[in-house]
Amino acid sequence: MPAPAVPSGEILYEASGLTKEFDDGRVAALRGIDLRICRGEFVSIVGPSGCGKTTLLNMLGLLDRPTAGTLRFRGTDLDALGDHASYRAREIGFIFQSFHLLPNFTVEENVQIPMFGLPGSSAEKKRRAAKLIESVGLSHRLDHLPVKLSGGERQRVAIARSLANRPAILLADEPTGNLDSKNSAHVMDILLRLREEHSVTLVMVTHDQELARHGTRTIRIKDGEIVPEGAQR
Amino acid sequence: MNFLQVIFRGLWRRPVRTGLTVLGIAIGIAAVVALVGMASGYEKSVVDQLDTIGIDIVVSNMQGGIMPKAFEESVRDEIASIPGVAEANATLMQMLSVEEAPMMVVYGREWDSFTWDQLHVIDGRLPRDAQENAVVLGKLAAEVLRKKTGDPLQIETGEFTVTGIVDGKSVLENGAINMALPRFQEVSGYEGRANFVNVRVPEGTPEEQITALCRQIEEKHPGLRAVRAREVVGTSQGFRMAQAMSWSTSLLALIVGVLGVMNTMLMSVFERKHEIGILLALGWSRARIMSLILCESAAMGLLGGLVGVGLGAATLAVLEQTPYVRGFLEPDLGWPLALQAVIIAVAVGIISGLYPAWRSSRLSPSVALQG
Repeated sequence: MPAPAVPSGEILYEASGLTKEFDDGRVAALRGIDLRICRGEFVSIVGPSGCGKTTLLNMLGLLDRPTAGTLRFRGTDLDALGDHASYRAREIGFIFQSFHLLPNFTVEENVQIPMFGLPGSSAEKKRRAAKLIESVGLSHRLDHLPVKLSGGERQRVAIARSLANRPAILLADEPTGNLDSKNSAHVMDILLRLREEHSVTLVMVTHDQELARHGTRTIRIKDGEIVPEGAQR
Repeated sequence: MNFLQVIFRGLWRRPVRTGLTVLGIAIGIAAVVALVGMASGYEKSVVDQLDTIGIDIVVSNMQGGIMPKAFEESVRDEIASIPGVAEANATLMQMLSVEEAPMMVVYGREWDSFTWDQLHVIDGRLPRDAQENAVVLGKLAAEVLRKKTGDPLQIETGEFTVTGIVDGKSVLENGAINMALPRFQEVSGYEGRANFVNVRVPEGTPEEQITALCRQIEEKHPGLRAVRAREVVGTSQGFRMAQAMSWSTSLLALIVGVLGVMNTMLMSVFERKHEIGILLALGWSRARIMSLILCESAAMGLLGGLVGVGLGAATLAVLEQTPYVRGFLEPDLGWPLALQAVIIAVAVGIISGLYPAWRSSRLSPSVALQG
C-alpha cells in the first residue's frame, strides 16, 4: 500500500508494514501501515470508530508494541529500543480524550509529573510548570485539584502537561472528544497556538472533519489500513 | 514537587486504610519490643545482680526449667578448695507464692558470706545470726508485699519477722526476700541443700584462667555446670526457651504485618492501575514505578515501626508495674532495640511491597490507561 504524500524535512517517524493484532490474531487493529511523519507537521488521523486510529497513536507513543512491521523514530528502530520510558520522557507529549490527570495532584503538580528525572532543578521545573499553566490561561487554578476544574480546563491542564518535557512530538487522541463546541474551539485554539510557539510536531487523532482540516496533512484509516489519497474523496 | 511528596500523596489517597495498615505493623512491632524488651530486661537484671554482688562464676545444676535443681550444700567446700578460688558460698533460691504476692524470689544466703555485703539497709537491720527467724526485704519486695520493718511474714510453713528493708542496687535484689540459708532450707524442705554456689576469684585473674576454672569445676562435679557470671543468662535453657518463644511470637506478629501491608499495597496497585498507566505514558520508567510502590510500603513500615516502638514502650511500662514482673526484671528498651525494631518494620514494609511493586511494573500502559 503506497504511503500518502510526504512533505520534505527531517523524518521523525517512519512506519513500515505496521501491524497490530489482538486476541491471538483473531482481531487485526492495524494491517501493514506504511507511514512517514516529518518534523513540523501537523498530521490529522481520521476514520470511523474502531478503525485503528488510537491503536496507531499508541504505537507511535510506544504505549503498545506492534505485532509485526517496523517503526523508526529518527532512524532508530523503536521495537529494538530497550528503554521505552526514556523515549516517552524525552520525545513525546500525550493529550488524551479523557484528560488523564492525576486526581490527587494539583494542577501545578500534574504539570510537573512528566519532568521527573529530567535535568533541571526543582525550582526551574516549578517555574516552567507555572509558565505553561499561564500559557493555557489557568494561573488562577495552580493549586486546584482536577476535580475542581471544568472539562475544558482539565484539557488545558493536559495540554500544558504535554509540553512540560519539551517533547519533539505531541500525540493527541481526540483532544476535544469530551468537550462541548465552545470549549472544543477554545482548546483547539490553544493547542494550535502552543504548537507554533513550541515548534512541536503534532499528530492528532480525531473523528471531527472540521478539526482535521487544521492539520497540514490528513491520514484516513479504515479497517486498520490507510486509505490511499486518491480514494479519500 | 519531589519524589517524597509523591510517595506521601499516594499513602494519603486512602488515609483510613493506610492508618489501619500502619496500626497493624505497629502492633506487630510493639509485640517485638515488649517481648524482646522483657527478655533482654531479664538478662540485664540477672547480669546487674551478679555484677553488684561481685560473683565471678556461678555453679548450678541447670537441667532445663527456670529453677536449677538442688544439690548437696557440701559441694561448696569442695569448690572452695580448688586452687584459684578465692571464696565460694552456697545459695538456695526459690520462686514462691508469698502471702498475697503471686510469685516472689526468695534467697537463703549463707550467713557471713559476701552475698549479704551489697544489701544496704535503708530501714531496720539485717538478721543477727543464721538462726534468727528473720527476713530482710528488698525495697520493691516490701512494696509488693506491703510490709514494713517489724511485720510478720509467712513463707511456706515458717513465720518470720521482717527485720529490715534493703536496697540491693539491682532489680532482682530489690525484688527479693532474703534470709539465712539454714532457715530457708528448713521451711522449704531442702535441708543441707542449695542450688547455687557463687564463686569469687582473686582480683586480676585473667579471663582464660577463669574459663579454665569453670572447666575444672565441671570435671570435678560432672552433674553441675560452672559458667562465668556474664554467661549465666545466655546459657540458661529456660531463658533460651523464653527468648525463642518471644522471637517466634514476634515473628508471627510480623508475618501478619507483612500480609497486611502486602494486601494494602496490592489493592492500592489494582486501584491505581489507571494512575500507573498515566505515569508510564508520561515517561515514568517501570523502575521508578516500582520504587514508588516500594517506598510507599517502606514508609508505612517506618511509620508503623515508630508507632510500634512507642506502643511497645508503653506496654513495657504497664507490664513493669504488674505484680508478675515487678521485682523480677526491669524491661529493657534501649536505643539498640528501638532501632532494631524500626529497621525490622521498614524491612517488613519493603518485603511486603516487593510483589505489588513487581505487579505494578508488569502493567501495560495502554491497557492500564483504559482503567
